[in-house]
Amino acid sequence: MNYDLNEEQKMIKESAHRFLAEACSSDFVREMIEDEKGFTPEFWGKMAELGWMGLPFPEEVGGAGMTFLDLAILLTEMGYYCVPGPFFSTVVLGGLTVLEAGNDEQKSRILSEVAAGKRILTLAWLEEGGTWSPEGIRLRAESRDDQFLLSGTKLFVPDAHVADTIVVAARTGDAPDEISLFEVDANAPGVDITLLDTLAGDKLCEVVFNNVKIPGANLLGKEGGAWPVLNNTLLKAAVGKAAEMDGGSQKALEFAVGYTKERVQFDKLIGTYQAIQHHCANMLMYADTGHFLMAHAAWKIAEGLPFEEEASMCKAWVSEAHRKLVALAHQVLGGVGFMEEHDLQLYFRRAKTAEVAFGDATFHRERVAQAVGL
Amino acid sequence: MEFSFSPEEQKLLEEVRAFIKAETTDALLAESEELGHIYGGKEGRKFIKKFASHGWLTPNWPAEYGGLGTSATVAFAIREEMARAAVPLIFVAAHMAGPTIMHFGSQEMKDKWLLPIARGEVEFCLGYTEPQAGSDLAALRIRAVDKGDYFLLNGQKMFNTHAHVADYHWLGTITDPDAKKYRGMSLMIVDLKSPGIDIRPMVTMAGWQTNEVFYEDVKVPKENLVGELNAGFFYVMHALDYERMFPLAIYARLVDEVIEYARNTTVDGEPLARNPVVRQKLAQLKIEIAANRHLYYRLAHMLDHGQVPNYQASMQKLFATETVQHITNTAMEVLGMFGLLKKGSKWAVLAGNTERYYRTSVVETIYAGTSEIQRNIIALRGLELPRK
Repeated sequence: MNYDLNEEQKMIKESAHRFLAEACSSDFVREMIEDEKGFTPEFWGKMAELGWMGLPFPEEVGGAGMTFLDLAILLTEMGYYCVPGPFFSTVVLGGLTVLEAGNDEQKSRILSEVAAGKRILTLAWLEEGGTWSPEGIRLRAESRDDQFLLSGTKLFVPDAHVADTIVVAARTGDAPDEISLFEVDANAPGVDITLLDTLAGDKLCEVVFNNVKIPGANLLGKEGGAWPVLNNTLLKAAVGKAAEMDGGSQKALEFAVGYTKERVQFDKLIGTYQAIQHHCANMLMYADTGHFLMAHAAWKIAEGLPFEEEASMCKAWVSEAHRKLVALAHQVLGGVGFMEEHDLQLYFRRAKTAEVAFGDATFHRERVAQAVGL
Repeated sequence: MEFSFSPEEQKLLEEVRAFIKAETTDALLAESEELGHIYGGKEGRKFIKKFASHGWLTPNWPAEYGGLGTSATVAFAIREEMARAAVPLIFVAAHMAGPTIMHFGSQEMKDKWLLPIARGEVEFCLGYTEPQAGSDLAALRIRAVDKGDYFLLNGQKMFNTHAHVADYHWLGTITDPDAKKYRGMSLMIVDLKSPGIDIRPMVTMAGWQTNEVFYEDVKVPKENLVGELNAGFFYVMHALDYERMFPLAIYARLVDEVIEYARNTTVDGEPLARNPVVRQKLAQLKIEIAANRHLYYRLAHMLDHGQVPNYQASMQKLFATETVQHITNTAMEVLGMFGLLKKGSKWAVLAGNTERYYRTSVVETIYAGTSEIQRNIIALRGLELPRK
């Protein structure tokens, strides 16, 4: 057992912390919430230069060959700074799916461009049913000669409006899990993208496919065999989101603790009151437990061990713990934290967004129930 | 990061498991249950002396004091195994007094006490709490007066749980009543058979016994003073960081039993395990148990890296004991009316464990520092919130 980061991981953490402190200020984050694209090419380019886009991909495709745990550490820092833009969509959702489902040609072509910061990806999964089950995927891909025809509507597709490639999960048969994955050019004729206005100002889109023609070669993996890949992506994304929440928890805790040491009421610093102290103790407990459950799941993924149970435990716990932690921070900060100008509101918005993303606590507790034999 | 035991550690743990399986008798389990899993009963001593002969009671102590020189992680893992097996697992001598003696005791004291402790031959009883001194340990009144060759003790202790089965009292006593708060208390080892000691039972709602201990002109040899005179409060705080270490495994086993029960019980024509609410609640318990396990092994990790657990120990105690109550309450909920039935009662399920643990769990958030005290410590020491 060892709860310390290794040297390489400490370096990732420190360099990300240093870079983002400078490049990802509160002003920038707020600007990007208002901005239609939600990121700038300069910011994207700098992150690519740091090697972040290729971090979890093999060296053969231009990646850094690092592990999912290393990626989780980077995501933690991104969560701490509320990093805007399509990094998660590109690297975690699109990239890891292509890495698992794609053939050598697809992996090398797509991921080398991702690693170079030249291609933005996303994953189109959810539809009107809003569920992460295979049954929720109804968009059909009809096989015609040596191509597929895609028709239907995908919802809550993150960053589709800026993506070059959309990895689309589509139904290719009537059995519940007869699902296939396709590499789709986001600019192909018949692809219609509408940005949705959201709680956190993150860029979720509706993507309508109107008889979109997909070359047969763009099938990722086996026809009808995508569900296990998607399920793995879901769980990895859930752990990745938990890593972002881990960072967000640290920041919210800092806001609250800092305030207890400067705010005076009834002639005393509010940090001297036990009601406040106990709120802060609970926050630290949520932060530490969430961090460990996240790290454990990320470690299992990194080691190539079965990770279903740990990933679902992690997302179930962190989804709620992080939201509660932010709520306590709001309570400690009082009216100040309710002000739009205070950054705590950014974390409040992101907390709920992350909570419902990739399965909320109820969804993952049910997965845990299955894993423990219920 | 690494979330698994090494092959050597695994091998050792398998040996421990096999030993426990082979040596655990019904009489041992009955006694352990009756005593609330503290060490000191007849069956427990028989079992633990044999267990300790492998070095497993104090595995992370150096060989010269009866240990195996293993990591703290191994010690924590062994304790988890003992908890899972419901054998005696609360040791004052081996887990609390012993480490303090090792850190702060004189060479003579180490030579005299550590080996017998490691062999399980002696058990201590914590002697901190008094009627007016619970969470506020500095409010102690029991007096030890220096009489030249010995200390003369007068006063009263309360809630001293091991006193009726232990051999020695690990006693916090006032040695300088005029000193500032926290500066006038000393720790000493007192033979519980000394003339002038009167132990009276206090029966808890869990069924097991704790005690009042009265001291009337009790003589304690000078050599039994632990470390420096008047430094006791510091040692106690230090030892509490070792005491707060809660493997949870007995209660974790209850969760597994309830899961099994849910799988095998039909309610209104459907297995209880199919009920979504039951599934959610039991899954949540498994998650909390997993979270606690990390807080637990973090303490071992810190010890293995030369750090003394501090707010981290408080957090683990707090989280574990609140989880315990969540477990017992959920178990009662799932079992419904059957949860009310005591062991031996007609229609009792899970051997009446749910009813019993529901009662025992009440004290978990109280002893060794209440949840409120733990939150104070986390806030003040962990987050450095202002004291004034």
